[in-house]
Amino acid sequence: MFSALLLVMGFFAGILGALTGIGGGVLLTPILALHFGIPIRQAIGTSLVAVITTSAASSSVHLQRHTTDIRLGMTLELATAFGAAVTAYLVGYFNRNVLEGLFAGFLLYSSITILARGGKLKDEEAVPANTNGETIIPPYEPQRYPLGLAASLVAGGLSGLLGIGGGPIKVPVMFIFMKVPLMVATATSNFMIGVTAAASAIVYYRRGDILVEIAAPLAVGVFLGSLLGARLAPRIQTKYVVYLLVAIMLYLAGHLCVHLLSGGSAA
Amino acid sequence: MSQLREPAFDRVVALVLRVGAFTCFFVMLTGLLMGLFVHDSIPENIERAGVLLMLATPVVRVLVAGILFLREKDWRYGAISLGVLTILLLGAVFGIGEH
Repeated sequence: MFSALLLVMGFFAGILGALTGIGGGVLLTPILALHFGIPIRQAIGTSLVAVITTSAASSSVHLQRHTTDIRLGMTLELATAFGAAVTAYLVGYFNRNVLEGLFAGFLLYSSITILARGGKLKDEEAVPANTNGETIIPPYEPQRYPLGLAASLVAGGLSGLLGIGGGPIKVPVMFIFMKVPLMVATATSNFMIGVTAAASAIVYYRRGDILVEIAAPLAVGVFLGSLLGARLAPRIQTKYVVYLLVAIMLYLAGHLCVHLLSGGSAA
Repeated sequence: MSQLREPAFDRVVALVLRVGAFTCFFVMLTGLLMGLFVHDSIPENIERAGVLLMLATPVVRVLVAGILFLREKDWRYGAISLGVLTILLLGAVFGIGEH
């Protein structure tokens, strides 16, 4: 029954993730830590498996629409994978409270940036299509690679530290500074998440920080949820879903703070 | 633009990810269902195989993209793929940070 509960939780995280473009890991890690009493480091390692699942499922869809810049993605992956592997090692020496505090801070930061954009998460810009119904992407040449690589290093580092995708950093950097069309930036960021998460997940696994009996039902649920979410996405007012996501994130951030202040006894 | 619009390349990479995700899904599901009826270490080992396959999927994706770049004689991106692959495999070889 424990597995069934985890599967259902992964399912809803997968739907929310596919509808909003935010990976399910952001929600799964604090829920595992707060409501299942799993040490935060294992919670991060375990939800990394779900993050890889989401990325594989969703980026195969983007790839088939030919909106992913594989060359740009793999170049930046040099930095994200390196950053993720390094912080994944370092996490082994981190205090639990520091990780919980960082995670609460990250949840707050993400909530604020989403609200600041008026609940718009995905690029909902009108995309011109040709007569075959294919999307048309204007010609571009990525600019300022050093800046892109530096931002990717930070995004990768955060991913290895907290088990998140780092999309909120990579997408704006590719779009604003590297002059990559938004649709391509989103797809390419998604594409990179799998490799970035794998770079840290391999280290977490070696350390015994991936709990297989929890990761398996979560990943199965997330996989089913993201398939359904991707189908629902065109038919649902994502704005309300985004507010629901922000509400959950704020609740989890608050709960993490209470958990921290009470010395971990509020679980 | 040379960076995009290589449908064949995209399709192969998408196929790797899709096959990886679906295989892991079915392997993990098998482990979960078996866990309902069998009470020894077999279901957990099946689930572990599913998790390891999931971790391996991005590695295979980098490997396949690297091979495709090299076949196109695109040495620059072949080397970049090799670099990413090296970082991924270093994590698997050196399991430091254990407690």
